[in-house]
Amino acid sequence: MSLEKFSDSRPLTLGVELELQIVSTHDYDLTPAAADLLRLLGKRKLPGSIVPEITDSMIELSTGICEDHADALAQLTEIRDALVASADKLGVALSGGGTHPFQDWSQRRIFDKPRFKQISELYGYLSKQFTIFGQHVHVGCANADEALVLLHGLGRYIPHLIALSASSPFVQGTDTAFHSARLNSVFAFPLSGRAPFVLTWEDFGVFFAKMTRTGVVKSMKDFYWDIRPKPEFGTIEVRVLDTPLTIEKAAAMAGLIQCLARWLRVERPFQPAEDDYLPYTFNRFQACRFGLDALYVDPGSGEHRPLREDLQALLVRLEPHAADLRAEGALQFLRRELEGHGNDACWIRATQAREHLLNEVVRRQTLRWAGRGG
Amino acid sequence: MLEDIAGYLQIESWPLVPQMPFWGALALVAGALLGEGVRRAFGVPRIVGYSAVGLVIGLGGWGGGVLHGPARLVVDLALALLLFELGSRVRLRWLQANPALLATSALEAFASLAAIYLALRAFGQPVNVALACATLGTCASGAVIARVAGELKSAGQVTERMIVLTALNTLLAVLAHKLVIGWLHLDVGGDWVRAVSQPLWAFGGSVLLAALLSRLVAWVARRLDLRDENAALLLLGMIVLALTVAQLLNLSTLLVPLLAGVLLRNSTERPWVWPRHFGTAGGVLVLMLFVVVGSVVTLDALLVGGGLAVVLLLARGIAKTASVFAFARWSGIGLRQAAGLSLALTPLSGTVLVLLTDLQLTHPGFAPAVVPIVLSAIAFMELLGPLAVQAGLRLAGEHRPEPSWRAPQAEVAA
Repeated sequence: MSLEKFSDSRPLTLGVELELQIVSTHDYDLTPAAADLLRLLGKRKLPGSIVPEITDSMIELSTGICEDHADALAQLTEIRDALVASADKLGVALSGGGTHPFQDWSQRRIFDKPRFKQISELYGYLSKQFTIFGQHVHVGCANADEALVLLHGLGRYIPHLIALSASSPFVQGTDTAFHSARLNSVFAFPLSGRAPFVLTWEDFGVFFAKMTRTGVVKSMKDFYWDIRPKPEFGTIEVRVLDTPLTIEKAAAMAGLIQCLARWLRVERPFQPAEDDYLPYTFNRFQACRFGLDALYVDPGSGEHRPLREDLQALLVRLEPHAADLRAEGALQFLRRELEGHGNDACWIRATQAREHLLNEVVRRQTLRWAGRGG
Repeated sequence: MLEDIAGYLQIESWPLVPQMPFWGALALVAGALLGEGVRRAFGVPRIVGYSAVGLVIGLGGWGGGVLHGPARLVVDLALALLLFELGSRVRLRWLQANPALLATSALEAFASLAAIYLALRAFGQPVNVALACATLGTCASGAVIARVAGELKSAGQVTERMIVLTALNTLLAVLAHKLVIGWLHLDVGGDWVRAVSQPLWAFGGSVLLAALLSRLVAWVARRLDLRDENAALLLLGMIVLALTVAQLLNLSTLLVPLLAGVLLRNSTERPWVWPRHFGTAGGVLVLMLFVVVGSVVTLDALLVGGGLAVVLLLARGIAKTASVFAFARWSGIGLRQAAGLSLALTPLSGTVLVLLTDLQLTHPGFAPAVVPIVLSAIAFMELLGPLAVQAGLRLAGEHRPEPSWRAPQAEVAA
C-alpha cells in the first residue's frame, strides 16, 4: 500500500480529540456503558463526532474543524453538555485524567468491534493496559512539506506539552511518582516514540514504502508516534497530552499548540535538525516523571534549565501570536496553573492527600468534567 | 460390644445423636461442594447448588415448613447484609435525572400487585388470600441478584437497574405487607387500634432505627477504611446489632438494613466501598441462606399450592416484563436490555420467606391458606431464579466470557 496524498487544509485550524473515562456512580470504577451512551447520543445533532474506543468503558469525542480557542471551547462545551446529560440518564459519570487511578485492567472488556478484537488478540494484555486516555490536537497545514517542518519544530516542545497536560499520577491504585504515567504505557507499543527525521513528503514516502515492504506497517494508523502526520485531514496530530480534567484546560492546550505552530511558521526561530532529538527521550522522561518541575535540556544550546522557566519564557514569546489568534485566554489559563496549583496531576495528588480515598478523587474529577465544581 | 468400646474411649453420648452444629456444618459442606459442582459441570451460578441442597432437605421431609430458631437467625442475618448492600446502591439522584426509571419502578411494583391479585381472584381465591399473595409476590429477590451479579462480575445498565428496581419493590412490598397485616387484624378480629398502630410502629420505628444505623456507619466510615478487613467486620457487627435490636422491638428486619443502606448512600455523595458481601463471613451466611430457604419447602405445600403458584409467577412475570418494556426506550435502554432486565426481576427468595413467616406469626389462623402457594412459588424459583438472572445478564451482554489470548495469526499480525 502506498502513502496517500496529503489533503489540503487551512493552516492553523484546529481539531481536538478527547478520550474519556466512563465511571460508575456507585464506586467510581470504570463501567461498561459506551454502547449505551452512543445509542442515546445517536439522536443528537452535535459538532464533530463521538465514537467507541478499545474497551467499553471509554469513549472518544472529537470537535469539528475549529478556527480558534473560543471556537474549540464552544464546541467542546456543546459536546460535553450532551454527553453529561446522557450519562446522568444512565446513572454513570464521565471523567478526564490520563489514567483511571484504581481500575484493575484485567476486569476490562473489549468493545465489540472487529478492529478492536484484532488489536486485543495481537497485543494481549497490552491492549487492556491501553485503557489510557489522551487528548489529541490536530493542526491544519497548507501542504505536506510544511506539515513535516512543523512536526519536527514542535518536537522541541513535547516536554512542555507533557508537563502542562500531565494528569495520570495513579495507576492500579498506586502513586506511580510520575506526573504522566500514561505515556509509559504508550511506550510499550512497537512503533511509538518519534517520527523519522525527514522534511519532505517525498522522503517520507520513501520511508513509508520501506516500512510497508517489511510488512511491519500497513497504514499511518500503525504508527503511535508522539506527533504524526494525518494525510487524509491535511494535519499533523499532537498525541502526547493526557486528557485534562476540564474542557477549559483541553481548549487552552489546543490554543497553546495553535500559538506555537504560528510562531514556528511565521518567525522560524530555529531550523529543525536530526540532532534536536539527542536529548528527546531524556527530556520526555523528565517531563513525565517530574511534570512542571522537570529539568530541560535545550536541544539547540545543550544548556540545562528548569522546564518551568523555559515555559514561562515561551509564553512571553508567544504573546503577540496569541493576540493575533485571539488565544490570550488560553495562555492566561495556563499561566495561572503554572504559577498556581500546578497541573492536573498535582490537583489529583492534593485531592487524594486530603481525602485518602481514590474513589472520592474520581468522583470529584467527574464533577470537574461536568463543570459542576469539584 | 460397641458400647463397651465407647465407654472405654470415654465417648459420653452413646448412641451418637448429632446436634444442630453437625447438621449445619454438613449443609455448609454439601452446599459448597454442590455449588462448585454445578458451576463447573453446567456453568450456572453456585447458588443453584446451595438451593438444591436446601430443596433436598425440605422435600425429603427433614425441613420445617416454618422458619424459626437458628434457621430464622441465619436468614435474617444474611438478608440484612445483602439488603444493606442493595440499599447502598440506590442513588435517588439517578431517579431524579431519569424519571422514566422511577416510572418503571412504580409501574412494575403496582402492576405486579394488581396482576397477582386479579389472577388469584380469577382462580377462585378469597380476597384476603389474593391480597396477601399479591404483596408477598411483588418483591424481586435481592439475595439472588446480588449473588449472581457478584459471581458473574457483571456490570452495566441491566445490573444497575435490577438492583435499583429490586430495592424499591422490596421497600414497597414490605410496606404493603405491613398494611395487609393491619387490615387482617381489622377484617378478622375487628381490632382497628391494632390495625393502625402495628404497621405504624413497624414502619416508623424501622425508619428511626435505620437512620441511626446509617449515621453510625457513616461516622465509622469517615474514620476507618472499610476496605480493611477489621473495619468490614465492624460494619458487619453494627448491622447485626441493629438487626437484633429490630427483632427485640418487633420492627421489620428487612426494612431496617435496606433503608439504612439507602439513607447511607443518599446522605452524602462520598462513595462508600467495602468488600462485597463483607468477605468470607458474609459468604458463609449467604450460602446458608439459600440452603435454609430451600429447606423450608415441603412436598405437601407443592401438592396443595403448586398450581396456584404457577398462576402467581406467570401473572407477576407478565406484569414486570410489560412494565419494563413500557418505558424501556424512554428510560434509555434497548429492547435486549429490557428483556434481560425482565428476566432478572423474576427470582423470588429469602425476602418473601421472611414476610411469609411474619404473617404466620401474626395470623396463625389465616396463614395456612397462603403458605402452600408462596412456598411453592419459592420452590420453583429457587433453581430457576439464578438461571433467569444469569440468562438476563448474558442476553444484555453484561457478562461476557473473556477472550483467550491466542498467538497472533498471520492475517492479524500487523
